Amino acid sequence: MELRQTFVSLALAIDVILVFAAPGAQEEGADQLAKEVGGRGWIAFAARGENGTWDLFLMRPDGSGRRNVTNTPDYEEGGPRFSPDGKRLLYRRFAKGTVISHDLWGFQGDLMIANADGSDSVQIGGDREFPWASWSPDGKQIACLTPKGIQIVDLQTKSVVRQMPRKGIYQQLFWSPDGQWFCGVANARVKWTVARMHTQTGELNIVHEFQSCTPDWFPDSWRIIFPCRPAGQEGYGFTQLWMSDGDGRDARMIYGEDGYHIYGGALSPDGKYVLFTRCPEDGGGSEKSGAPICVMRMQDAPAIRGPSVALRKVHPDAKDATVLQLVEGWEPCWTYAEIGAQK
Amino acid sequence: MKAVATGVLLLLVLMSVSCAKKVPTAAVDPNVTTRGSIEVTAQLDEIRGDLIDDPMYDYAHVMKYKVVQVHRGKVDKDVIYVGHYNPAEPRSRVADARVQEIGGNVKQFRVGDVHRMALEVPIDDYYMGGIINKYFGEVNDPVYWAIWTDKAAK
Repeated sequence: MELRQTFVSLALAIDVILVFAAPGAQEEGADQLAKEVGGRGWIAFAARGENGTWDLFLMRPDGSGRRNVTNTPDYEEGGPRFSPDGKRLLYRRFAKGTVISHDLWGFQGDLMIANADGSDSVQIGGDREFPWASWSPDGKQIACLTPKGIQIVDLQTKSVVRQMPRKGIYQQLFWSPDGQWFCGVANARVKWTVARMHTQTGELNIVHEFQSCTPDWFPDSWRIIFPCRPAGQEGYGFTQLWMSDGDGRDARMIYGEDGYHIYGGALSPDGKYVLFTRCPEDGGGSEKSGAPICVMRMQDAPAIRGPSVALRKVHPDAKDATVLQLVEGWEPCWTYAEIGAQK
Repeated sequence: MKAVATGVLLLLVLMSVSCAKKVPTAAVDPNVTTRGSIEVTAQLDEIRGDLIDDPMYDYAHVMKYKVVQVHRGKVDKDVIYVGHYNPAEPRSRVADARVQEIGGNVKQFRVGDVHRMALEVPIDDYYMGGIINKYFGEVNDPVYWAIWTDKAAK
């Protein structure tokens, strides 16, 4: 019994040493990561501007060069998405004072398209039109998710060129880079299921069930990244960042941290780095001021940060994550395209 | 004696007429008679699973009803499955940014209660959000979408 107690004490001591030793190593690793990613394009994200409303910002992936590219005190803006060539931004603009819901934002407000530096913004539709708009691979069309189905809209004429049943997909629709697939959140056997649909046949398959949402594509158009709050956690639990093949195989955690809900998962254009937000509250913080945007190497996955005692028991092989934490924001996306001079 | 009996009878008749006037005629809410394409009175037969009250997430919960009367539209079956939006909320407060055109006077969903409902079908054509359907895979009937839900007399 005494021997067992000694082992337990020793284990606890090692835990404490690791926890307290981690910050220094973490800072050093984060500095290296910042140097590595600093010149690799731009991140667009929504954040509170000095005027108090949600604006769109650009920054380098190391956090430098941050600039407000909308700066509209009379509107709230969110959900920016670079076009596949990185030259334009698609986003939604909401009435001032709108509380942005992490589940509703795609069908609230107006769809806007601007140059990647925020200039020459154009309102594409009226309030709640073109819901959950997502770029086609060539940037000439958008896919929209409406109760009547998934609509492919030609951007030049704003006409619906094709419509297909949505088969239970109800939010967060995204078109794969190769144009072959949609992913979204669906009602299948249970709600909050990430699903994939073939854009031509309409065939739907389940990617990951149960408390999984906000999916997005890897650049290979095969794997999907998504937050998931797995069952079996104590109490409400915490949302982790996961990935899966599009056919639902090989689902695994990318990053997790007890005490934080991980949302906003997105890949760098070459798939080597992953963006996410870490928020102590569920939902990613869109209702308030977002949450710190973080960058991590995909090769470090699966990774866990902080003590996360419960999570480390479930994923004993996870690495200690080197994470570069940037400013507060919401729904970041990444392009390697160079964006012109400051507006 | 006959005169007394006649007087009592007359009094009773007058009382009954007087009382009858005080009985409130249950006016049917025009919201339930005009919204949607289907209108039924139905008895709530079963609620499978717990009604989740989570302000962070919205969802519709599918409940089983026995149809008492079809007022408008076509309903082929005696049993229908109806999705109610955020059912932990009273119908008078349930409309929100996601679902704006919805309401009623039902405060709480209880098995055995009778509801007069304005409906649409199928639910997916009118509601885009999470659905808790504990009949999934067991029942292939279309799920109705409850637009307006008022309490009705049993």
